[in-house]
Amino acid sequence: MTDYFIPRSAELSLCFSEPLFLQDVNDRWSLQHPQLYCPGQKNQYFNKKAFASCVMHSCYSSLILFFIPWAAMRDTVRDDGKDIANYQSFALLTQTCLLIVVFTQLCLDTYYWSAVNHFFVWGSIAAYFAITFTMYSNGMFYIFTSTFPFVGTARNSLNQPNVWLTIFLSSLLCILPVVAFRFILIQLRPTINDKVRYKMRKEVLPAPAPRRLLRRRSTRSGYAFSHSQGYGELITSQNFLMKRPLKRASLFPQTDSPIFQNQPQHYLDHQQIKKLTDSMNGGLSLLLKRRVAILVT
Amino acid sequence: MMASSYNAKEEDGHHSGASSGAGAAKNRKPDNTAFKQQRLPAWQPILTAGSVLPAFFVIGLIFIPIGIGLYVTSNNIREFEIDYTGESSNSPCYSCAKNVTWNSTEPCFCTVNFTLERPFESNVFMYYGLSNFYQNHRRYVKSRDDRQLNGDPSSLRNPSKECEPYRTSGDLPIAPCGAIANSLFNDSLVLYYIDSNNSQSEVPLVKKGIAWWTDKHVKFKNPGGNSNLTAAFQGTAKPVNWRKAVYELDPSDPENNGFINEDFIVWMRTAALPTFRKLYRIIQKKPGATPTLPSGNYVLHITYNYPVLSFDGRKRMILSTISWMGGKNPFLGIAYITVGSICFFLGVVLLIIHHKYDNRNTSADIPS
Repeated sequence: MTDYFIPRSAELSLCFSEPLFLQDVNDRWSLQHPQLYCPGQKNQYFNKKAFASCVMHSCYSSLILFFIPWAAMRDTVRDDGKDIANYQSFALLTQTCLLIVVFTQLCLDTYYWSAVNHFFVWGSIAAYFAITFTMYSNGMFYIFTSTFPFVGTARNSLNQPNVWLTIFLSSLLCILPVVAFRFILIQLRPTINDKVRYKMRKEVLPAPAPRRLLRRRSTRSGYAFSHSQGYGELITSQNFLMKRPLKRASLFPQTDSPIFQNQPQHYLDHQQIKKLTDSMNGGLSLLLKRRVAILVT
Repeated sequence: MMASSYNAKEEDGHHSGASSGAGAAKNRKPDNTAFKQQRLPAWQPILTAGSVLPAFFVIGLIFIPIGIGLYVTSNNIREFEIDYTGESSNSPCYSCAKNVTWNSTEPCFCTVNFTLERPFESNVFMYYGLSNFYQNHRRYVKSRDDRQLNGDPSSLRNPSKECEPYRTSGDLPIAPCGAIANSLFNDSLVLYYIDSNNSQSEVPLVKKGIAWWTDKHVKFKNPGGNSNLTAAFQGTAKPVNWRKAVYELDPSDPENNGFINEDFIVWMRTAALPTFRKLYRIIQKKPGATPTLPSGNYVLHITYNYPVLSFDGRKRMILSTISWMGGKNPFLGIAYITVGSICFFLGVVLLIIHHKYDNRNTSADIPS
């Protein structure tokens, strides 16, 4: 019915704005472990298997969210003997169970609780109750009688202990399997995400900023050095094709990956080697010619 | 050389202005604030054994006592139920069940005897229960006019279209209109206690205080106030299946007559499930230590007006005491005990898994 459309849309709009501020691993750690991007490339989180498990979870939650309130409200009454198993109270109970389950699931899926996330999450549940009580108030009934016929339902059912116990039970029944399943997966088959977040939590300081490495600077230019005898053979021997990280003497030994240091890594192929040797031979011959010219003059 | 040191900005103001302007506009780098660089201080929880396992055990340890409390409370509630539909030939109301229809003018009476094994303490609530009656059918639920029931004079003469086909009777508008009002439960139940001398004494039944306060005072109002209802409802017809008009529901009490009659209000609050019970009367507790309903023999006098056998329905009378959790419903207690035990067991299982596989996790190297 139309009366649950408004809190549902409020909840949805707040839920859509929430993911803008979510992060599980910050930028420094993301750079340090680029394998974090692999699951996305391999479609690990969005495939048919993930969809099927989502469908099964939804079916299970739907069954819980109907049958637990049904069984709890069957043939029971309020604590003053008056009616509670009526259509409007049952609808409100099921609706509230659903909202609490969604809210708890959202809290479980939020890894990054900044002030913004806190505001949206707590704000959405507060907005739901505020909107519900407003819609079921006397004033709204007097102004829009046929649109808001649920007057008094919230006041008369949400003050009952067995209603809240039912809500608590159904939300726990929906959430506990999820928590248990996730915990088992983290223990038995941790993903790269879990490992990095676990590591991130253990190390108090974030990854150190890239430091300038102290290199022993050579007074000789590389170009001049390349003209020494025997260097041409070294290059043409294609030893450079092996991807070996260049060994540098440094004060602080780093185990960072090359990408992290923002150093361009050159791996030469055949055409590039040929060009290099040609230019070097050309330069070598020029240099020789010049020296000969000096000697001659 | 000299030209390079010359400030070209002034010479070619348009270009450089555009370039500096374009440069300033093209600078899309976000500000280096914590908000825009997503460096806000945040709590980043992860599911560790230190948080999940204690949570499971705590939940298990909390739920089991709550479940036991609920189950014990539910068990202590006294409830007595008696079916008086009369569908089998040896039941007291069999002849009434066969003869009564919606058009019957003569009331049909039957009596049912029963015995209470244990006395009922504190306030006792008398309910009537119906089975296989779908008050939650969508078309049925919509068949009412809340404006008319709130005393709006224009809706009284011109009810809503939702009430069709129970909107008008002949040329006159029906008040109250709709299928819900039309199917009002109109059986009368009176309870007598048979004491040791075989004399019947009537058990006092209170008919007020059975509807929600918001329903009685906000949702339902008589048109033109509570006095002189006969004149207020002039020009309207009674619902088709009613024996008397709405202003004759309780002429002795103007606070319980017309639309604000509490039996009517209780009926208009449609039930969610096909088997339901609605509060009929309250038996108030007696002062002192006397039980409200002592154990012994009772007789129920029924004015059988409501035919249910046509749709295979059942009628029953229920006597029940009440606790802080409402009526007798052992489901919550059993559910809490079950969930608590499962939670505790799951916690033990997860603890075993954690012990076996945790060292694998801590020494696991992140592959590069």
